[in-house]
Amino acid sequence: MIQKLRQSGTLLGFVLILLFFALKLPDTFLTARNLINISQQLSMLAVVAATMTIVMVMNDFDLSVGSMASLSGIVAAMIFTAGYPVWVGLSAGLLVGVLGGLFNGFLVSVVGILPFVATLGTLTVFSGMAFLLSDGKTIFGRDIPTSFSGFARSGIEIGDIKIPMLTITAGLVIFICWCILEHTNFGRRLYAIGGNKEASHLAGIKVVRLRLIAFSLTGLGAAGAGLMYAARVASANPTQGSGLMLDAIAAVFLGMTMSRRGEPKVIYTLVGVLILGVLDNGMTQLRVDSYVREILVGLIVLAAVSVSSLSKRRQS
Amino acid sequence: MQSLTFSNMSKAFGGVPALADVTLNLSSGRVHALMGENGAGKSTLIKLIAGVLKPDSISVSKNGSPLPLNDARDAHEAGFRFIHQELLIVPQVSVAENILLSRDLPHRFGFAVNWNKVQAIAEEALAFLGATHIDVTLPAGDLPAGDKMMMKIAAALVSADQNEPVLYVLDEPTAALTVEESEMLFDVIERLKAKGTAILYVSHRIDEILRICDDVTVLRDGEFVTTNEISKTSKADIIEAMTGRDFKDAYPKREISIGTETIVRLKNVDTTNLHDLSFEIRAGEILGVSGLAEAGQTQLLKLFMGVGKIKSGTASFIDEELPGSPSDAWARRVAYIPRERRGEALCLDMSVRANIVLPHLSDYGFYAKPWLENKDAHKFGAKVRLKSNDVSQPVGQLSGGNQQKIVFARAIQGNPKLLLLDEPTRGVDIGAKYDIYLLVRELSARGCSVILTSTDLPEVLGMCDRVLVMHEGRQAHLLERGEMESADLLSHFYNGHQAS
Ligand SMILES: Nc1ncnc2c1ncn2[C@@H]1O[C@H](COP(=O)(O)OP(=O)(O)OP(=O)(O)O)[C@@H](O)[C@H]1O
Ligand SMILES: [Mg+2]
Repeated sequence: MIQKLRQSGTLLGFVLILLFFALKLPDTFLTARNLINISQQLSMLAVVAATMTIVMVMNDFDLSVGSMASLSGIVAAMIFTAGYPVWVGLSAGLLVGVLGGLFNGFLVSVVGILPFVATLGTLTVFSGMAFLLSDGKTIFGRDIPTSFSGFARSGIEIGDIKIPMLTITAGLVIFICWCILEHTNFGRRLYAIGGNKEASHLAGIKVVRLRLIAFSLTGLGAAGAGLMYAARVASANPTQGSGLMLDAIAAVFLGMTMSRRGEPKVIYTLVGVLILGVLDNGMTQLRVDSYVREILVGLIVLAAVSVSSLSKRRQS
Repeated sequence: MQSLTFSNMSKAFGGVPALADVTLNLSSGRVHALMGENGAGKSTLIKLIAGVLKPDSISVSKNGSPLPLNDARDAHEAGFRFIHQELLIVPQVSVAENILLSRDLPHRFGFAVNWNKVQAIAEEALAFLGATHIDVTLPAGDLPAGDKMMMKIAAALVSADQNEPVLYVLDEPTAALTVEESEMLFDVIERLKAKGTAILYVSHRIDEILRICDDVTVLRDGEFVTTNEISKTSKADIIEAMTGRDFKDAYPKREISIGTETIVRLKNVDTTNLHDLSFEIRAGEILGVSGLAEAGQTQLLKLFMGVGKIKSGTASFIDEELPGSPSDAWARRVAYIPRERRGEALCLDMSVRANIVLPHLSDYGFYAKPWLENKDAHKFGAKVRLKSNDVSQPVGQLSGGNQQKIVFARAIQGNPKLLLLDEPTRGVDIGAKYDIYLLVRELSARGCSVILTSTDLPEVLGMCDRVLVMHEGRQAHLLERGEMESADLLSHFYNGHQAS
């Protein structure tokens, strides 16, 4: 009973938030246009949060996703600038993500540094590299091919509504992450590592290798989000991904309050992402000051996590 | 003589009763045994008395007058002291601090911790137990299993300073102890008894119950069955009360002779911790590994799991090198039951199913196949008489013995060729123990070799064909079982040199 309540508390909160904005903004909030807009705004965060879930399932963290997103955008833009075709730039951007993720995984699982410390280090490294490559400037204008930025503006039309490609991409990534974590034995093993590393190792799970793979997937997701961002604003600058990391972790934590044993799940992460996105969109429309907005979002995340951990304690 | 009565004790988990209206009468100066099969409700009862689990109902009285018991603090103030089944220690801090965990540390000038005094108190408590060899400045996590238990017992003794202890409760304390450590414990119990405290004692080892206890209460499926004086009952009666069947507390005999093929060959093997290992194991043979606490038994088993490097000598498993890693080992059908089920074997928050199939996930292919996993979890769970509500129940909610059965179920899935058993029946009840022995015999009859180490010497002698005695990491003796008895085996433990 309490279990059910604890699990659905956050979901209930989400519904209340939706209701609140729907009442306050009767003309603009619950319109197809606004909802599609929200989904597009959220697509980058959704990609980062979904792939972040993969490492958080193992009780690990990746703080470097934000600067990885910036770095991959910069790398792709530099390659465009040098005149290479779009696919080369995209592949290079994604490759940087995989390599960066592998490096994180190497530090965490082979060298054995705590994920918090390791990825805090690579956060600065990636960010520094982005500044170094771009000379601290924004790359924009004619350097960015229209076929690249056009992607972010295009969409699939169904009747009157156009579903943006960014939203579709995010949907696909979430679907893939969900399949990986819930429906493959690879995912099972990651959950087992999160449950007990030593026991998993002795039960024959290749803990080192799996952590490497998981971190590189998170890196790949971060890089992908960076490219989506660059396409959307048709430019790349060395700080544009920096807001993603905290929001992504917050979304996973919000999601964890909804799952049965408090483990991260992609579907619940998605709900977390939606909560953050809806709050942001609604409050912007209500012209709430952006600093106040930050305070409120922080408090809401804390409230959800507190309620969940308190009710968990009550249970036993 | 003082008396303590706990009556109307009930507790249900999610509607399923774990304990139903049980009454327990304890008297000072007497050791009261609490017995029952795995999941019968013993630990639940103890947690109610300790105030750590919220009861559905309980009433307590001391010498006829009621005693409030709402939380752990009340229990402490009433003079109840506990050693729970699952050891709760803080591995990073010193043994001394662990021992003084439940009380205020002694201070100097009113604020600075008096570390000398902390150590002195801890050492004094260990000395009372006769465990003077433990270095109290060491991090508690570095202690061997037996010493950890000694440390917890010392902690229970020390927290007794504020008010006189009235009752000590020990939940399966000997499950992790070697013979001589158990003897030390029995000696302490004897002394506590003489001081006039009541003792509630849980164990699955009937022989020790018969030896040290005065009364026995039996539970079955959460319900009270009987209370008796030990002198007026017998082993058979107790087993009958526990299981509802009449059961022999014995070891199934070998029926099929050992195969001819040699599965394991070790010649002059040295690793960092192990030395001079030379032995062979044939298909279907059961080799016991025995010795004093931490003589290298666990390392020897782990060597076959690919943990630990061979520095010199030659070793082979089915004509190839030993497995290089645990995953390699499982893939080559080496199955392993680690000593510490909570630390090394189980993911407590995960389901029974996930825990059973964990080492065998690659057999299910790339995609997860929950229905097949369910089927296997049911099948192997049933083989070890697992008692759980459902295969999706988190393992952490099961009783200690049932958690152990999960580790065993996992080991027999996949039909091993070499089975490594480190304390396989730790905390397992008599009926299930016998079933596990039967399973080991069955595997052995199919040609699976077994290496077994256990602090329960009758188990080693009852099951094994030969016994390897280790002394400080060295192979000291390799004995044919013959007509050996526990005492004969024990005498070899202290004698580190090759006798012949
Ligand atoms: N937190 C919990 N949630 C649900 N069920 C529980 C929980 N704790 C215990 N149980 C159930 O209560 C029953 C009694 O468990 P208990 O631990 O008291 O058994 P026990 O007699 O100590 O067994 P063992 O000899 O194996 O230690 C078991 O069926 C167990 O599954
Ligand atoms: Mg128990």
